[in-house]
Amino acid sequence: MSDLVTVTIDGVEVTVPQGTLVVDAAKMIDNDIPVFCYHPKLKPVGMCRMCLVEIGVPMRDRATGEVLRNEDGSVRLNFGRGLQTACTVVVSDGMVVRTATQPVKDAREAVIEFLLTSHPLDCPICDKGGECPLQNLTMRYGRGESRFDFSNKILLDKHVPLGELIYLDRQRCIQCARCIRFQDEVVDDPVIDFHNRGRRLEIVTLSEPGFDSYWSGNTTDICPVGALTTADFRFGARPWELTSVASVCTHCPVGCNTTLDTRREAIAGGRSVIKRVMPRQNEWVNEIWICDKGRFVHHYADAPTRLKQPLVRKNGQLVEASWDEALDLVAGKLQQHKTAVAGLAGDRLSNEDLYLFQKLFREGLGSNNIDLANRRLAGGDVVAQVGLASGSNLKELGAGDAVLVVATDLHEEAPVWWLRVKQAAERGAVVVVANLRPTRLDKFATHRLHYAPGEALSTIRQLVNLAKVEMETADSDPLAAAADALIKAKNMVVFYGSEGLTYEETDALARLLANLLLVKNGEGHVGRPNNGLIPVWPHSNTQGAWDMGVHPAFAPGYKPVSEPGLRATDIYAGVADGSLKALFVIGADPVGDGLMADRGQLDFLVVQELFMTKTAELADVVLPAQSWAEREGTFTTGERRVQRYYMAIPPIGDSRPDWQILAQINERVGLGKPAFAASLVFNEIAKVVPQYKGMDYRSLARVEKQWPDVGGEDLYYGGTAHENRSGLGQQWACVAESATVERFDVAEQPVIARDGLQLVRVAALYTSGTLIEQSPVLHHRMARPTIQLAHADATALGLADDDRAEVTVNSVTYETAVRVNEQVPAGLVLLSGVPYIAGLTTAQIRKLETAVAQPTGD
Amino acid sequence: MALIAEKYAEEIEGILKRFPDKKSAVLPLMHLAQQAYGHMSREAMQEVADILEISPTHVLALSGFYSLYYEEPVGKYVLEICNDLACALRGADEFVEMVCHKLGVPVDGTTADGLFTVKTVMCLGACDRAPMLQCNLKFEEHLDEEKFDQLIARLRAEAESGKEEPSVVEKIMAYAKS
Ligand code: SF4
Ligand code: SF4
Ligand code: FES
Ligand code: FES
Repeated sequence: MSDLVTVTIDGVEVTVPQGTLVVDAAKMIDNDIPVFCYHPKLKPVGMCRMCLVEIGVPMRDRATGEVLRNEDGSVRLNFGRGLQTACTVVVSDGMVVRTATQPVKDAREAVIEFLLTSHPLDCPICDKGGECPLQNLTMRYGRGESRFDFSNKILLDKHVPLGELIYLDRQRCIQCARCIRFQDEVVDDPVIDFHNRGRRLEIVTLSEPGFDSYWSGNTTDICPVGALTTADFRFGARPWELTSVASVCTHCPVGCNTTLDTRREAIAGGRSVIKRVMPRQNEWVNEIWICDKGRFVHHYADAPTRLKQPLVRKNGQLVEASWDEALDLVAGKLQQHKTAVAGLAGDRLSNEDLYLFQKLFREGLGSNNIDLANRRLAGGDVVAQVGLASGSNLKELGAGDAVLVVATDLHEEAPVWWLRVKQAAERGAVVVVANLRPTRLDKFATHRLHYAPGEALSTIRQLVNLAKVEMETADSDPLAAAADALIKAKNMVVFYGSEGLTYEETDALARLLANLLLVKNGEGHVGRPNNGLIPVWPHSNTQGAWDMGVHPAFAPGYKPVSEPGLRATDIYAGVADGSLKALFVIGADPVGDGLMADRGQLDFLVVQELFMTKTAELADVVLPAQSWAEREGTFTTGERRVQRYYMAIPPIGDSRPDWQILAQINERVGLGKPAFAASLVFNEIAKVVPQYKGMDYRSLARVEKQWPDVGGEDLYYGGTAHENRSGLGQQWACVAESATVERFDVAEQPVIARDGLQLVRVAALYTSGTLIEQSPVLHHRMARPTIQLAHADATALGLADDDRAEVTVNSVTYETAVRVNEQVPAGLVLLSGVPYIAGLTTAQIRKLETAVAQPTGD
Repeated sequence: MALIAEKYAEEIEGILKRFPDKKSAVLPLMHLAQQAYGHMSREAMQEVADILEISPTHVLALSGFYSLYYEEPVGKYVLEICNDLACALRGADEFVEMVCHKLGVPVDGTTADGLFTVKTVMCLGACDRAPMLQCNLKFEEHLDEEKFDQLIARLRAEAESGKEEPSVVEKIMAYAKS
């Protein structure tokens, strides 16, 4: 039997894969069957009856199975006794669907009339008004006047906070359960549900805090009415007043495509401000979802504390200065200290910024002393060889494929990757997790390898050694079974992170994992789409920083330099001991992050930033940069997809884009006329960095038609995620796609004897930082410092659940909450809600006797 | 809290054994919890959720859906009077009024001695024996004022003597052991 079936919808023939729903088949030929409860990313439930159509199937002779025909030779059709829901019926060959007949029109009218019995129709004050399917469908199919008595309407609460991020208007809810099903089916956070029945039905949550999920904002996108709204957009603007600008999320290496919806506001003095962040469809990256961090963190762009003017230190005080004065001073000082200069960058900056920053040091000052301020995860050079091959889409992984996830908690570090791996598992992919402790991915994993503290590398080494092209049938050893499952997979994707590992250890880890991918060299797990290595970088553009050569040992494009410069740790030492005289810090706060004590013996410190950070406070010159929303540029995701973002709001104060400031300094140190547009900097990058060859702003802006349709004015409604009109980005090809890669040498790491409780810092999505602190809505969800440990270990320390403790790690002391958690392996303490700590450490943990008032976060 | 985990450990084990997936045991466990906590309080929901490793919101949803779970405290005997169509045609509304008057409580109210709660419910499938009510899972049918007085007298006596009809929980336990 063929995999395709042909059906006729309103006289138009369409051939679709078997198993397609009638409503989707119709959409493929632009026939919008109206829906409410159906959503193309959710399982059909047939709850709302909006999609009723007439469906006829060919009649067959019972005895022979022959198709029966009318006298004129046409096929006899059986339309059954009533209308059927197009969202639950699967197409079959010869099926005939009628969507425009009188019975169908009557049914739509009746469903709308019922839905409106208690609906307030307060569209003029509803946030959804203007982009609301109920409004649109009422205009299209409603009767204009209801036969229900007005006094029959029941009045329900219009202002029900489901937690402090999402608000429910009970009157507007049409009980389609999209929100509940999304939370349950898609993201496995079943924290909202229906309560009561009939007209008294309402959405409730019992979680603490309410609607406790990193995904809650997505329900406001797919809610087909104005029942669910976000705290920061509620009553904020009408959809038709908004100007939508394509952007990219800058808060993790996934690089979700977003749209910044902006509006000019009187209270902002006529400036355009960001009213909301919405997902922008990119089925290769984030489909139509974003996490709540990406949705709610943006407020920092408009924060009143943004730096607005260049500052220069005079008589011990930072005072406002002109750009020329500041830039002349910076260029002069950097040149003066040419032989004792260093640069530290943050990895949220754009490729254009990072490229010009390294150019300043390498070409302008002749120094390789350039590094990321906080390097956590190694292996960029390995990824350049065997990274996830171009043309990959994690959505294609399923039965027969395997995903290995090592030393990372994807749900906290890169939420959308967690979602995509979870969904791969649900499609049948083998998922192997290897970590010190269980994470939220364990539930979906087929193999769980929990190694003891200090045994990460030896475990992975064993796994690689066990993986043979011709595996003998796996024995009961869990490691061998995992190796077997991985190596037999058609496609293999490997994620790795740095949880509990030092930088050097992550380097060895990346190489070991590369060797695993190379076991089946040739037709193997590298260089083919949907195979390869994905680093779970700590920030959104760490990949770009590697590519642009913000590294003491690699120039742009991974060209090794003959004389490597100082690494960040050496730079911090040089600052302290006086061997370095001038330091340029851009987009990073090493003092605030505890990496650098103070300005040491520096003669000159320049900081380029959005905010007056701890480091900036110590600087001689502070240069105000623009946030990502005020300018354009490119970022490169952990899947090595180069993506463009666009200018959404005007600059704050006299701030300038980082790349422009750098170009102007570069001119002053003799590197010629500055580029006057980000696109021109990118053109230079495309010339210098071989991996980016052939890319330009136009190629990055290419789009294609994606399924399902979202964002349009269609009645087949995918939600308010925006259609992608501004670019899907381009993945750069790793070496393995065009050449054979040899196995990597992996240096043996010294085995460290580990006595006593081992402390590991684990990630939490909402960990305090310069940017997230500016968001008024996420305030209450911030991860407070917390330790988690097993019962026996807690008892040994005299600790119980809900106690408070004082934890000293690497001579920094935190006051933390205590959670006794049997999931935590014995001998391990998990510390979250604090800045990054590399590797495993020991800690002094002391119970705090006096009940110290919990910080309320206000 | 771990009220039912302690009080009904054996029963819970018996119930859980009957289902391949433990979250399917949610309804009987909610009955146990309701008995132990007096009503489906938030603590009761949390304990059921913890035992079954499901979201407490899900337990709340079920208790809201089914009329036999009470989210507010109720009396020892819950009189659930049907006032749906067939019963209404046989005078259910007047019957409810009479009951409320006699017990001195409104619908959904509980008598001061904590014995009786009056509720109205949808059709219970005994339309041919209307008016009717359900008291702690037992049907009382063909009711009139006289029969109602007898019922109340019987229940009062029962409560005083300490002897009781098998409760919901006893039925559940019989089920768990069967
Ligand atoms: S809140 Fe919105 S998405 Fe949820 S059930 Fe109601 S109408 Fe549907
Ligand atoms: S998953 Fe990452 S990139 Fe996507 S919205 Fe969240 S923080 Fe941003
Ligand atoms: S029943 Fe088909 S869309 Fe709701
Ligand atoms: S209407 Fe009362 S039992 Fe059916």
